[in-house]
Amino acid sequence: MIRRTLISALLACLAATPAFAGSFSGTTAGSSAAGTSQSSGSSSGDDNKVVLQARDDAASFVASDGRIRGAQLEAALHYLRERNVKAQRASDMQLAQAILAL
Amino acid sequence: MTPGRRPRTTRLWPAFCLWACTGTAQAALQLAPIDASLTPAQADATRQILADAVERLPPAWADVLDERIDVEWRDDLPAKVHGRAKARRMLLQRTLLDGWMARPAGAGIEDPATRAALAAVIHELAHFYDRTPQGGLSRDPRLLDLAGWQVSPMKLGLRSSHNAFSDRSPDRYELESPVEFVAVNLEYFVLDPDYACRRPALYQYFAARIGGAPLQAGCAPDFVYMQVGPDSTLPPVLQIDPDRVYAVDYLFAERNDRPMSRWGHSMLRLVICAPGRARGPDCRLDLPYHQVLSFRAFVDDVQISSWRGLTGSYPSRLYVLPLEQVIEEYTKVELRGLQSIPLNLDPAEIAELLERAARLHWSYDGRYYFLSNNCAVETYKLLHDGVPRLADEDLSSITPTGLLKHLERAGVADASVLDNRDEALRLGYRFDALSTRYQAMFDVARQELNLPQARVQDWLDLPPEVRSPWIGRADLRASAALLLLEQAALRRQQLLSRDELKRRFFGHDAERRDVAADPLGALQDLLRLENYLSRPAALLPDAGYGLPQVRERETLAQEGNRFAAQWREQSGWLRSEARTWLSPQRLSALDGTEANVDALGEQLRRLNHEQGGLELHNE
Repeated sequence: MIRRTLISALLACLAATPAFAGSFSGTTAGSSAAGTSQSSGSSSGDDNKVVLQARDDAASFVASDGRIRGAQLEAALHYLRERNVKAQRASDMQLAQAILAL
Repeated sequence: MTPGRRPRTTRLWPAFCLWACTGTAQAALQLAPIDASLTPAQADATRQILADAVERLPPAWADVLDERIDVEWRDDLPAKVHGRAKARRMLLQRTLLDGWMARPAGAGIEDPATRAALAAVIHELAHFYDRTPQGGLSRDPRLLDLAGWQVSPMKLGLRSSHNAFSDRSPDRYELESPVEFVAVNLEYFVLDPDYACRRPALYQYFAARIGGAPLQAGCAPDFVYMQVGPDSTLPPVLQIDPDRVYAVDYLFAERNDRPMSRWGHSMLRLVICAPGRARGPDCRLDLPYHQVLSFRAFVDDVQISSWRGLTGSYPSRLYVLPLEQVIEEYTKVELRGLQSIPLNLDPAEIAELLERAARLHWSYDGRYYFLSNNCAVETYKLLHDGVPRLADEDLSSITPTGLLKHLERAGVADASVLDNRDEALRLGYRFDALSTRYQAMFDVARQELNLPQARVQDWLDLPPEVRSPWIGRADLRASAALLLLEQAALRRQQLLSRDELKRRFFGHDAERRDVAADPLGALQDLLRLENYLSRPAALLPDAGYGLPQVRERETLAQEGNRFAAQWREQSGWLRSEARTWLSPQRLSALDGTEANVDALGEQLRRLNHEQGGLELHNE
């Protein structure tokens, strides 16, 4: 028993190969999330990404009435306000809801 | 051979002095050919070779060698040996002289025979220099760090006797010993104009010790790393310009109770600014541009074996991964929190660290040992070897938490950014495991919808079709909460699917099911591709050494695209096939959960529209 625990402890920070993680799980979650089928022509890959990556944070923010405010949402808010006049006038909550509605 | 019969010529070739440096007249390096049997032409050629070699030496090097060294052409050296440095004698392979004499008129350093002869002399002169008190390069800890005889935390700071920087070596003889490393590298330092760009840190080290031209402006300002992901719009060669890196953080993945992550995982996060943004704190939120340096064992098998991990049969590879992928993998799939703690490094140190990471990426072929060469040890060595100031600190540790503690104690890491939890979350010093939010999300939905379950786990355990009727009744806030939970359920279904497939095809009682395609073979193909992509030197066989330069970068872009396309095709195929190999129950649970996620997305769009909310996709 002790030996088994020791060996488990020795398995420090060994990460499974990305192939394995990616093959049957993980990567599909991001893309299929809430069926984001929009194909906005106005922004490039990275641009869309910062907003799409904020969906989980946006959901937490909306559901917790603004209490849970993660960095991915914060990054998306900054990003939108730097580029979008309507976003500059909108509240954080309005923007979070808009991200969820993408 | 009868020595007595050879007439002893009275015209001994006078030992000639080669004034290495114009300034010093009293004592200077003398290279003296002592073979009396040389023909005048051979003697002439010898003189040319020696003079040419000495002329190329940096002043400090030639100055130190203020002695007479006899030079002998020999026929009895082993074929592969070009020279030997005895106490006061230099032995050279005679074929080098023949080659030199046979070279075309006006041949320059690019001529192989010219280069070989000069390299042999410079190599031996490097040994003579290295043996002097002023030289001593091969005993200098900094040289050993740069060269790859790394410190080892498990050996009380002693160094590894093996140099694992074997990929993209100019001459693998350099790996024999530190002494040979110095001699081989000084050959290139003197003779190869590309050396400064291919091994910048070593070039600067030698230039500082023995003089030489300052770093050329012609080197590319950035470093390149291979990075292949599912997004086919991204190029396979990632370029990082140190001038765009605002900070480097120690990125720590907290432990969870799975055996693989008992100790947590240590990584480094590069806080890279978006194009056009000046280096400053605002870069901290340019998350899509941030990259992570993460050492992982490359598991070239479908099963991880703890025995193989203990005994070093997995390669240790440095991956450069987008931060957002790392956030996804840890906080959303593995449900482990991340802490990102800024390191106190100045811009020059950040550049050195990035160059070191590039050297590791292109040349390192180390082995992963759970205890003595795990991610914490590798990260420690990267900091130690990359930033000379940190080599003086006592950072040595074999666990991720231990390394963090040592960094804090040395004043290099500042964990006070975590003190205010909400601010840390907002600014990206902490990324919570998504699971920490599940109960709060569930409470919101339960209150709104009067859900009968009390615990979030009970809700997630329900079959998706039992959860779906509740979805239509949720308002915007409850829908947001349910979306997060439904995503959690989806990720859980994906993990269960993966486990089911693992058991079915790769487990002890693997079922030899009659499927059209061979999943094991497909996965092994994928691993073969990933092996190539994670040991990128393999993409550039027999071309150049050190950091890839312009032409190699072009090859990399082509080869990388080819491999990346194969990898995407193969992994996409495997993902879609995998669904057909699932049991009907598992597939139905997966489909049902996906349908719930889609329904919630639709509902959130509708509710936002009905409430007159902001609509971003119309911009």
